[in-house]
Amino acid sequence: MQESAYFSQYNPIKGVWDEMYGENNIRDHYSKVIDYLSRESAEDLARKEELAKRLFMSQGITFTVYSSGEGIEKIFPFDIIPRIITVDEWAFVEKGIKQRLNALNLFLKDVYNNQFIVKDGIVPIDIIYSCPHFLREMYQLEVPYDIYVHIAGIDLIRDHDGTFYVLEDNLRTPSGVSYMLENREITKRLFPDLLPQCCVRSVTEYPNILYKNLLSLSPRQISNPTIVLLSPGIYNSAYFEHTTLARLMGVELVEGRDLVVKNQKVYMKTTVGLQQVDVIYRRVDDDYLDPLVFNPSSILGVAGIMGAYRTGNVAIVNAIGNGVADDKAVYAYVPEMIKYYLNEEPILKNVPTFQLSNIDERQYVFGNINKMVVKKTNGSGGYGMLMGHASTDEEIDDYKKEILKDPRNFIAQPTISLSAAPCYMQGGLHPRRIDLRPYALCGPEGIEIVPGGLTRVALKEGSLVVNSSQGGGSKDTWVLA
Amino acid sequence: MLSRVAASLYWLSRYVERSDGILRMLKINYASSQDTVQEFTWEPVIRIFAGHDEETQKLGNDSRAVMRYMVSAKNNPNSILNIITFARENARSVQEHITKDLWQCLNEYYHTVKDTRIDNALKKDDPVSVLDILIKQVMLYYGTVEITMERGEGRSYMNIGKYLERGIQSVDILDTKFGSIDGNPDLLTDTTYWKHLLLSLGGYELYLKKYREGFEAENVLEQVVLNNDFPRSVIYSVNHIQRYFDRLKNDSNIDDYRELSFFIGRLQSNIKYSSVKTIKEEGLHTFLTQIRSQLYGIGDALNNHYFANS
Repeated sequence: MQESAYFSQYNPIKGVWDEMYGENNIRDHYSKVIDYLSRESAEDLARKEELAKRLFMSQGITFTVYSSGEGIEKIFPFDIIPRIITVDEWAFVEKGIKQRLNALNLFLKDVYNNQFIVKDGIVPIDIIYSCPHFLREMYQLEVPYDIYVHIAGIDLIRDHDGTFYVLEDNLRTPSGVSYMLENREITKRLFPDLLPQCCVRSVTEYPNILYKNLLSLSPRQISNPTIVLLSPGIYNSAYFEHTTLARLMGVELVEGRDLVVKNQKVYMKTTVGLQQVDVIYRRVDDDYLDPLVFNPSSILGVAGIMGAYRTGNVAIVNAIGNGVADDKAVYAYVPEMIKYYLNEEPILKNVPTFQLSNIDERQYVFGNINKMVVKKTNGSGGYGMLMGHASTDEEIDDYKKEILKDPRNFIAQPTISLSAAPCYMQGGLHPRRIDLRPYALCGPEGIEIVPGGLTRVALKEGSLVVNSSQGGGSKDTWVLA
Repeated sequence: MLSRVAASLYWLSRYVERSDGILRMLKINYASSQDTVQEFTWEPVIRIFAGHDEETQKLGNDSRAVMRYMVSAKNNPNSILNIITFARENARSVQEHITKDLWQCLNEYYHTVKDTRIDNALKKDDPVSVLDILIKQVMLYYGTVEITMERGEGRSYMNIGKYLERGIQSVDILDTKFGSIDGNPDLLTDTTYWKHLLLSLGGYELYLKKYREGFEAENVLEQVVLNNDFPRSVIYSVNHIQRYFDRLKNDSNIDDYRELSFFIGRLQSNIKYSSVKTIKEEGLHTFLTQIRSQLYGIGDALNNHYFANS
């Protein structure tokens, strides 16, 4: 194979799994793309990058950052070089996620009903009761088909030898799927004919599968149930995603103020009066969902909706109270859950996790903090994290004090190095760290995972944090057929 | 259709129509300001579209300052920049009810007016070119609505908003322009005065074809209020409100429909069975005030019965 200029200048990071470059050669599954790229000049690629930015901007695929009273439109940074996953890798990941989700669903049903897993001493009771997302309101509430997690985003990373690890389970309102869909649309525009040449599997089925699942949850047996997507409104940073999904599924996008509860039924206010709502795909957090039950100052939710849910007059997706299963302290027990509920060995590995409420583990972590990442158990978006190897002594001391105030709130994990993939920047290809979030949809007929996902990338050199709030971007993610 | 969605579509459309009115008004008045021996006053334009306060007084008759205030000022709630921001916020919240083309079109209008080059050009370059760029965006918008929007409830609400806004604008412009005559009777025979009024409404050519005897205040009045073929006349606007409201019949609660239908029908008859003669007997200002309050009444009734804001 002819080596292109980009490739000869490409310097993989030592001791890191590189998605494109293995053992002194380009991996097979990247060869067609590199072939294609080597026919383009650096200016061509720069123009493509410019086109990508313009497409995102003119289609309004933006989020608004408010500073000094003025809204500034930003686009979520997009890297034009796709991330590619082979047939075998995908088969493994798909199997692993299905297994894991099955176990997590069973765990949620168990923990809100008989709590066998606690009684059998697998998961300690205090871990569950001390979790702020464990909601007593969900106790013994029957949910349709016993499905709690209808939509899951499982964050995967790859260690230096390419082994997949689960970094996080997102079982509440995982976001980012619209970027999986839009990134693909942009790639179609940037690289004509490349997708079919490389036999890339399509991701466009996602909204159809989700819609079919939502339809099946309707409590009323009628031919045309009303399904809505509940959004916090246009000021939410994920608003673009809400409207994209609503449009692609052809369901109504509503805000809390459009809904009202009467006689334990949920209605939406229309120009002809009230219309009953059967299924709500909500993108509002538990806390804000019902001011009568949760945060009383919330204006994003609907008063009385929890009552309607408990009565079974409305289906809510994802179920309320799922936070207990994606809590980072509970995360450590997921491999045990898989063995307990399914009698199977876990396919996907967990990152070893230390509970800082345990004195021995805490002391070990404090002694080796340079090799650790410390996280809040209910944090997200990369906020409130301590990266041991990249922090000053002062930052570490301050953080330790924080930990000692409430050790249950923190866990520590050894720093996993994250695989790298080529990104186009400064006129050439450079390796940057990435993760992978496939989206799994769980319906009465089982779990379906659209072949693809969101690949997030840490655009800063040497950075291991891929979150968009911390300077991360994304890539189109290809699963080969 | 959700009440909130109907309200957003209606307002989105009203804002765009308003921006169209402002831009055309600015363009003609700017031309007019370059073609006069007396000092040109921007006061009526500002009064119609921005109100009267300390801020606007400071502008005086500096054409560039006025245009920057009306187009790109952040502190003027009725500047094109702010109006289009509102229009886009409304569109954003109903993205799945308008076509993707329309959303992109509005989005581009927004990015165009927000571009600092617009403000800089108003400061230094030819203002007409700037206004033309923006007017083109509005025309693109109307074309996109026409070609892509489904003929359903949503479009009816948009059209009701559009024609309501247009009707109110025409009434306001007439009222202000005829009001100025009271203080300065010479204007009554000033042909450029009437010519510019007609130009700013886009009715100059129609006038020339229809009235051969030159510019007469009465003829202008007749065209702007009563001419069925003039797309900016008050009667044309009201007829179209009626037309699109009628299409909502099947998607309406029958009591709500009847109440609004009554308001619209009454207004329509009021204008239809008026003539220049009866309007003059009644007093133009009284007549226009009554029409304006009835137009506002329709807006209020929509709010109460259709947009669930009662």
